[in-house]
Amino acid sequence: MANLRNSTGSYGIIAQAFHWLVAALVLAQIGIGVYAANLPVSLARLQWLSRHKSLGLAILTLVLLRLGWRALNPPPELPSSMPRWERCAALATHRLFYLLLILAPLAGWLYASAAGLSVNWFGLFQVPDLVSKNNELAELFKAVHIGLVALLASLVAVHVGAALRHGLILRDGVMHRMLPWMPRRED
Amino acid sequence: MPRFVAFLFLSAALPVAANECYSVDPAGGSVTFELKQAGSLFRGAFRRFGGQFCVAQGRVAQIDVWLEPASVETGLPEIDAALKAVEFFDVAKHPRIKFASESVQARGDRQVARGMLEVRGTRRSADVPFRLGESGGKPVVSGTFTLDRLDYGVGTGEWSETRWLGAEVKVEFSAGLSRR
Repeated sequence: MANLRNSTGSYGIIAQAFHWLVAALVLAQIGIGVYAANLPVSLARLQWLSRHKSLGLAILTLVLLRLGWRALNPPPELPSSMPRWERCAALATHRLFYLLLILAPLAGWLYASAAGLSVNWFGLFQVPDLVSKNNELAELFKAVHIGLVALLASLVAVHVGAALRHGLILRDGVMHRMLPWMPRRED
Repeated sequence: MPRFVAFLFLSAALPVAANECYSVDPAGGSVTFELKQAGSLFRGAFRRFGGQFCVAQGRVAQIDVWLEPASVETGLPEIDAALKAVEFFDVAKHPRIKFASESVQARGDRQVARGMLEVRGTRRSADVPFRLGESGGKPVVSGTFTLDRLDYGVGTGEWSETRWLGAEVKVEFSAGLSRR
């Protein structure tokens, strides 16, 4: 049971589950968004964009829950062998990640609202609009949404690169803290 | 009694005289529609419309109205283009949606025009309820009705799927009438 929570040496199962679930959904979400946005007006585009909007709200909810869990359960500390600037860079990257994981779906939600294409969450319930229909605002939110997602995708590349450097080159155990199949390092 | 009230109401706006015709004034008027896309209401409007209302013995006797589906505006240019294309309104082949009344009946404080509605080349009998009011000394006609877009073949092929694009379309109209 103790494994559910983070220790000073490793992430717990819940933090790991949040990480990999959000990672998988965000990658799928970017794929669906890029694919659907480039389709001509068609039933397939309507279906995929609707799923994209529902999935985006699911990701936003998961990220908020994840932040709540993180607030109650601080992440393990980085090894003191890491230079100070690297620890600062890691902290900044993670904070920016959370910021973008909230702002990107929020911009998408604003875009859908302003475009008059409201969201019915996976056909289960009506999601309220954040703003009323407005073409100029829709164009603005569209650009902001795309910009934030581009930034998020770049950050994914930086994050994966840094994780692999820790796992394969430095071999300092930092990447292993997030791998569920790795033996847990005790406090 | 309601019929009498309606008659009075109508005669306040339309002077009692034989066979006078009024044209539908698109300025300040609106024709909007809404239907469900992926479970949520989606709205649009038609900008060009017109027609005439003829009055005999203080009652609306004949209605002929039209609108141009090419003037559809949803705020999303790609959707507007798709609506004008062959799968929806096919505006190149059917530039006008028309309604011509066959009879007009007063029902309480509103009236119902029974007539032929022609959309995308399909003519079907339809009942369109409306009210006559007054704004700035000018008669104003307004109303709401729903129709099934598939009855008129609006949305062919994959768009006849109604789970993603609802069949029921609610139309709302309001326009001033000017003496001809």
